[in-house]
Amino acid sequence: MNTSVDLAALSVENLEVAYNVRGVDRAVLRGVSFSIAPGEAYGLVGESGCGKSTTAYAALRYLPRNGKITGGRVMLGNRDITAMSDDSLQEFRASEASMVYQDPAQAMNPSLRVGRQLIECFTLLGQSNEAARTSAVEALHRVRIADPESVLDRYPFQLSGGMQQRVVIAMALACNPKLLVLDEPTTGLDATVEAEVLDLVRTLRQESDAAVLLIAHNLGIIRSLCDRVGVMYAGRIVEEGPSHQVFDDPQHPYTVGLLRSLPRRGVRKTEQALATIPGTLPLIGTVLPTCVFVDRCPLADTTCQTVEPPVVPVGADGTRFTRCHYPHRISELAAVVPDIPIGVLAASPDNPQVLELSHVSKTFRQRGRAIPALVDIDLRLAEGETLGIVGESGSGKSTLAKTMLGVEVADAGGTLQRDGNAMAGATSARTSDDKRAMQMVFQNPDSALNRSWTVRRILLRAVAKLTGVTGSVANDRVELLAAQLRLTPRHLDLKPSQLSGGLKQRVAIARAFAGDPRIVVCDEPTSALDVSVQAAILNLLADLQADKRTSYVFITHDVAVVRYLADRIAVMYLGRIQEIGPTDDVFKGPHHPYTEALLSAVPSVDGEATKRIRLDGEIPSPSNPPSGCVFHPRCPRAIPGVCEVSEPPLAEVSPGHSMRCHIPIDELRRLQSETY
Amino acid sequence: MSDTSVVAAAGATAAPPSERQQARRENWRLVRRRPAFIIGLVILLVWIVCALFGTSFVPYDPFETREIAYARPGGTYYFGTDQTGRDVFSRVVVGARDVLKIAPLAAFLGVLFGVILGMFMGYVGRWFDLVSGRVVEALLSLPTILIGLLAVTTLGKSNPVVIGVVAVLFTPIVAKTVRAAVMAERDLDYVTSAKLRGESTPFIMFREILPNIWGPIIVELTIRVGYAIFVISTLSFLGAGPPPPSPEWGAQVSQGYNDLAAGFWWTTLFPALAIASLVIAVNLIADSVQAALEA
Repeated sequence: MNTSVDLAALSVENLEVAYNVRGVDRAVLRGVSFSIAPGEAYGLVGESGCGKSTTAYAALRYLPRNGKITGGRVMLGNRDITAMSDDSLQEFRASEASMVYQDPAQAMNPSLRVGRQLIECFTLLGQSNEAARTSAVEALHRVRIADPESVLDRYPFQLSGGMQQRVVIAMALACNPKLLVLDEPTTGLDATVEAEVLDLVRTLRQESDAAVLLIAHNLGIIRSLCDRVGVMYAGRIVEEGPSHQVFDDPQHPYTVGLLRSLPRRGVRKTEQALATIPGTLPLIGTVLPTCVFVDRCPLADTTCQTVEPPVVPVGADGTRFTRCHYPHRISELAAVVPDIPIGVLAASPDNPQVLELSHVSKTFRQRGRAIPALVDIDLRLAEGETLGIVGESGSGKSTLAKTMLGVEVADAGGTLQRDGNAMAGATSARTSDDKRAMQMVFQNPDSALNRSWTVRRILLRAVAKLTGVTGSVANDRVELLAAQLRLTPRHLDLKPSQLSGGLKQRVAIARAFAGDPRIVVCDEPTSALDVSVQAAILNLLADLQADKRTSYVFITHDVAVVRYLADRIAVMYLGRIQEIGPTDDVFKGPHHPYTEALLSAVPSVDGEATKRIRLDGEIPSPSNPPSGCVFHPRCPRAIPGVCEVSEPPLAEVSPGHSMRCHIPIDELRRLQSETY
Repeated sequence: MSDTSVVAAAGATAAPPSERQQARRENWRLVRRRPAFIIGLVILLVWIVCALFGTSFVPYDPFETREIAYARPGGTYYFGTDQTGRDVFSRVVVGARDVLKIAPLAAFLGVLFGVILGMFMGYVGRWFDLVSGRVVEALLSLPTILIGLLAVTTLGKSNPVVIGVVAVLFTPIVAKTVRAAVMAERDLDYVTSAKLRGESTPFIMFREILPNIWGPIIVELTIRVGYAIFVISTLSFLGAGPPPPSPEWGAQVSQGYNDLAAGFWWTTLFPALAIASLVIAVNLIADSVQAALEA
């Protein structure tokens, strides 16, 4: 363990890294400096492409083949990693530093048992096979795995995502590292699993004095785990300080923009539009002699364009700095309202119903076994309304969307109605009016657009096919659509690969709106985008809805986004709607115990909520659902003798607000107010 | 975000090439500099010139009997003369025409059928894929040359028959490649989007998916041309090619190899080298094309 307290565990000094792309060195890191004390957790935040991951990899001198450190140095304790020989570097990585990657499935060898991989971590450190096995069992205990022996005998694919990440963390901790790098450790995991992993990391931090470097795009995670945070932009740290201070009182225009583009503190679309950061991140290799943020900064003036900003200390204790000419003018930014005002449609109970699902079920068959993915779904969607659908993966959210759209055909017995008329189950069997009325926006704009078509062709085809118009009329309509989505005519003749993620998603939305649909199903439309781009897309969706009175079915795992945009929310678990109601009722409670757990699992950028509900275990397999209430094995409030016996009905607890729970609503209210 | 340059350069009228196009162009440039590609191309061009203009520059009429049979290679007859006294060099040069006419056509047809079959197997799937998949595997387990020989001798020795037989033999192989490429595409969201707006299955297959799998198809085509040359030469060597006095290379080898034991190596060696050089040239080009498209 580190004996000197003064010596930083990790110290990055003016680090410069370049990637060689087709023969030219392009700067990615432009002088990054920070240090982490033993036992401290340091977070790096910023949009994709700003150099967070490159910094993390460079800290272990683990760059891709075309990357190289062009300046500065990285000190671990008193050793210079940048000057190490390859042999001592290998030795150092084996014994002093560890890394946990984003996707635990890829961090393990799929064809070797967990035990063999974990035991190897210890034999590499010189332990005998016997001792290594004992150490492996201890390591799994340490990451709170209850039954280590059986986990050791399994293959990685037999473990859930959360368990896999625990095993990877156990491997990372095997050498008792002085430095632990976590690169988006919970990004692929569900909220409740993410909460468990974050709790684990938090506990482990207290047990070891490793310095932790955490990379995450989710600001809430950084806030809940890190002592200090560095905000990165274009390969430079523009602001640094204790996380709660930086997030509560940002002192750099970029940090301000980043935080403002998040839907926070329960703000709704009816109250205000989200702020966006105009412009895009400069490309790697761009020469940025002065302030890296100058092109997108609302405060920028000629000084910013000609003089490199100084490092300005914030506060008296020397723990914070910002790299800006005008930190005293930050308060002016508060007055800057979002540049694009959005119109918003308020939901009204008088609006006609556009979509009605009754008793819709969907059962998949796999090797003769029935797998119920949707069970007796009843849903109504009013004109101009946004219905948010939340739930963990495997809850049936996407199957519900596909069944509405007819990509999957509902089981016999259920009915789908659009504007009061029955609608066929399969898309191919639907009338052209029905097809035109329901369209979809997908999660990943890269795969949603045909990459060999131009934007114009994509939109023209949708217009022609959905509305039947062709020729110059169709072309005019395409140009109008593009304008509504704030795409310029120039974008129309590009191919998707020439557009940024946000622009691609605009094209996908334009395509969905090509035939003036009544209902648009949005499946995680912003989860692949950066927060500032997400804000622009959410504003646009709200604006389009107000303009065209379109109804949205909005599927997401991001509760802040759904709270901002949705009028009503349905919470799904194991193919069933557990709770449905107006957004405020669902969020403010009393809520279904599952909703309660889901909400408390989300780390907030505004600091931790005081109440904490953690779920044990994983979502059960839909092919073998638990008896009674399907949630009872994980429910912290389950009533023994009742919940495992019968499934509660979806009963109305207040006007428009229903849930599926045996616990009387007043009892729930009492229980949930207690934990506050 | 590597593709934001275009967006950042707002206001520009002409669309600058995307990173990907640039990368591809850059790759082509690197490929064109590869020695393997240049050698392959030079050899291929030599044979194409021979096929097109060979008759006008060969020293002798390839069908005319000279005064000496089995003349050794030398100054008068560069590659010697054969059993009936015809000039081997002239025959090898002119013989390029047959194989260069038949092989690319056979490969093209094989790829065409293979693309159509693979498209249906990969996209329509289910029972069609199951049934045709078994048929394809059964076909692939048969020895190509033997089946080709059998088919050509049954259906008659003519160029259209050879082309057709080789194309059919290649179809299942190409179909397997195309099927795999289609299966990677068919679950992408743009296909779902096409279904949601009511596109027909052929439209989705040939207008939506096909443009995205050109890369592997072109690679397959170049590889198939190489194999076609090989298969066609083998067939004529086994007697299923054009009849004598055709100067087709496989036929020449077949006519000459009986004389090998007697020490007349040149009647076999030169046409055999011609076959080998052409196959190697096409494969060198195929490798380079693959490297360029897959980078």
